[in-house]
Amino acid sequence: MKGRYEDENLYWIPVLIIFVFLLPFILKGLSFSYKYYLFVLNMAGIYIILNVGLDLLSGFTGLLSLGHAAFLAVGAYSSAILVDQFGVPFALSLILSPLVAGLFGFVIGFPALRISGMYLGLTTMGFGFIVKRMIIAFREWTHGSGGLDVSSPVLFGYTIKTDWNNYFLIYTFVVIAVVAGRRIAKSKIGRAFMAIRDSEQAAQAAGINLAKYKMLAFFISGLFAGFAGVLFAHTSSFISTDHFDILLSIYFIIMILVGGVSSIYGAVLGTLFIVLLDNLFVPLLKDQIHFWFNTQAGDIQSLIFGLIMFLFIIFQPMGLYGMWLKMRIYWKLFPFNPRQRFT
Amino acid sequence: MTDLFLGLTQEIISGIALGSIYALIALGFTMIFKATEVVNFAQGELMMVGAYVNFFFVTTFLSAAGTPTAWTFLVALGGSMIFSVLFGYILDFIINRPLKDEPIFSVIMATLSLAIIIRAVVAIIAGPISLMPFSPFGDSAISFGTIIVSVLDLSIIGSAIGLVIIFYYIFHYTRWGIAMQATSEDPIAAQLMGIPIKRVYALVWIFSAVVATLSGILLAPRIALLDTSMGFLGLKAFPAAVLGGFGSIPGAIVGGVILGVIETVSMGTLSFHFQWIKEINDIIAWIVLIAVLMIKPDGLFGVEKVKKV
Repeated sequence: MKGRYEDENLYWIPVLIIFVFLLPFILKGLSFSYKYYLFVLNMAGIYIILNVGLDLLSGFTGLLSLGHAAFLAVGAYSSAILVDQFGVPFALSLILSPLVAGLFGFVIGFPALRISGMYLGLTTMGFGFIVKRMIIAFREWTHGSGGLDVSSPVLFGYTIKTDWNNYFLIYTFVVIAVVAGRRIAKSKIGRAFMAIRDSEQAAQAAGINLAKYKMLAFFISGLFAGFAGVLFAHTSSFISTDHFDILLSIYFIIMILVGGVSSIYGAVLGTLFIVLLDNLFVPLLKDQIHFWFNTQAGDIQSLIFGLIMFLFIIFQPMGLYGMWLKMRIYWKLFPFNPRQRFT
Repeated sequence: MTDLFLGLTQEIISGIALGSIYALIALGFTMIFKATEVVNFAQGELMMVGAYVNFFFVTTFLSAAGTPTAWTFLVALGGSMIFSVLFGYILDFIINRPLKDEPIFSVIMATLSLAIIIRAVVAIIAGPISLMPFSPFGDSAISFGTIIVSVLDLSIIGSAIGLVIIFYYIFHYTRWGIAMQATSEDPIAAQLMGIPIKRVYALVWIFSAVVATLSGILLAPRIALLDTSMGFLGLKAFPAAVLGGFGSIPGAIVGGVILGVIETVSMGTLSFHFQWIKEINDIIAWIVLIAVLMIKPDGLFGVEKVKKV
């Protein structure tokens, strides 16, 4: 019997995990503004959790979702309401709120049984708008569009407050989410997802229950997004409907596309790439450009972001993970590689 | 009760005007999608650019000529048309050609980042302040008995109908139009029949840029404010295109008109008469869309494809 991970090197995974948890100390040693870096990394971590789920849905199962920020919102709001208004402990809310988001996944997964492709993308986008409107409509719990203050997470009697502590909380769950995503992708469920993506008819003929696995894909994806939402609500301490814009959903799709669809590591890489690009690299460039131009800072920032994205897609259409695969093959074949194939 | 019906009739007419603009934007999407299977997320931004360029021309000619005449607007319209043809050609050159054989996802990404770029460039050039676009008709209105209709709305409906007829003629009765149809049916077979599909693709992008510009020019005076958030209206044309059936040109038009009417009516009189509509009037288009798709998963006019393994 061939092992599930036999074709991969596993020894670097513990090294990577140790590196993830040493990173704050390294950053603190290197830079004075390490707090900002940690803030950005925390945001990236939350998005990574969500994008692993989105990749399972859109990348592996091929069900395009343009409304994933809605699942994030459901997770965030349900956790905020459960903890602050019903007095549920944070640890329990970490289990309950993702379940709520997963149930929403069921609700939206139901029409998805018949709808596919761009139609599904638009349906989920509409779902995003409807959820946003629902949050505003349930004013007595959510304070409408005014936003909601959220308490800091309390785990085992400790209150987790600063970005420094949040980092360890978030990245513990990032590691869990990535490992879980890998396990799901490599399991029977993951293979069923990929079969559905490649051909629904063939999958059905092979005995895969389409309805069950499509609903499952939405449920799992909702769970991941809800999880990210809980962490988002409690670490950012304030949520409002503006945080869960339609543009955010489109950014999520951009992130997994840049990373390369249907690979969990691709989703992680893409998320890190986009978030770091948008929050660290572009502001640096922007400061340089401000010597010559004098305009609205936000416009320059989105211009640089758009340009980098555009050039990246033109020259590297397969995404970061595709680039990495090409590089790996290049080094494997090293002295005997036909050069023109790898440029 | 007569109040309600009077209001409804008036709003339905103005809804048809809004819907014709949605239909035009959706027409742009649909053409690109039919020919190249690319979903152009930058369509709303193309529309915004068109509106801005037209505004620029109109103000330049006004400051040169002094008083506004019909010629000012016509010459500005011509200028914007020339610009949009060039713009569409450039878009084909920078997006469609380099990404020809890449996965569709990459092309969609390219249009998404293009939308970001266009919005930023326009914001940098035009500044953060919203502009007040001119309308050649001012705010005059015609009254039919008790129903009052603004000339602007009528002109929008009229030009939309005219455009649709022109496009219908081009698609069905000219050489290039038939070449476009053949290409969208089967690019490889079309190429084997001697159709220069590269040029056809360029033409499709040009057409869609022209339609976007025209819809921008029509829409700008109607929403009375011109700023970069106009690009987001492109997102509203998406449900229109999907409602009618993605890739179907009559579908795009019908879907656009239906959504325009629903939106206007639910925001107006009905909100005064029924309290619960007020809660949902900004998402009612989406609710209708989801309801329709649950019954007809390929939209109203979409053709159900037989899928084979």
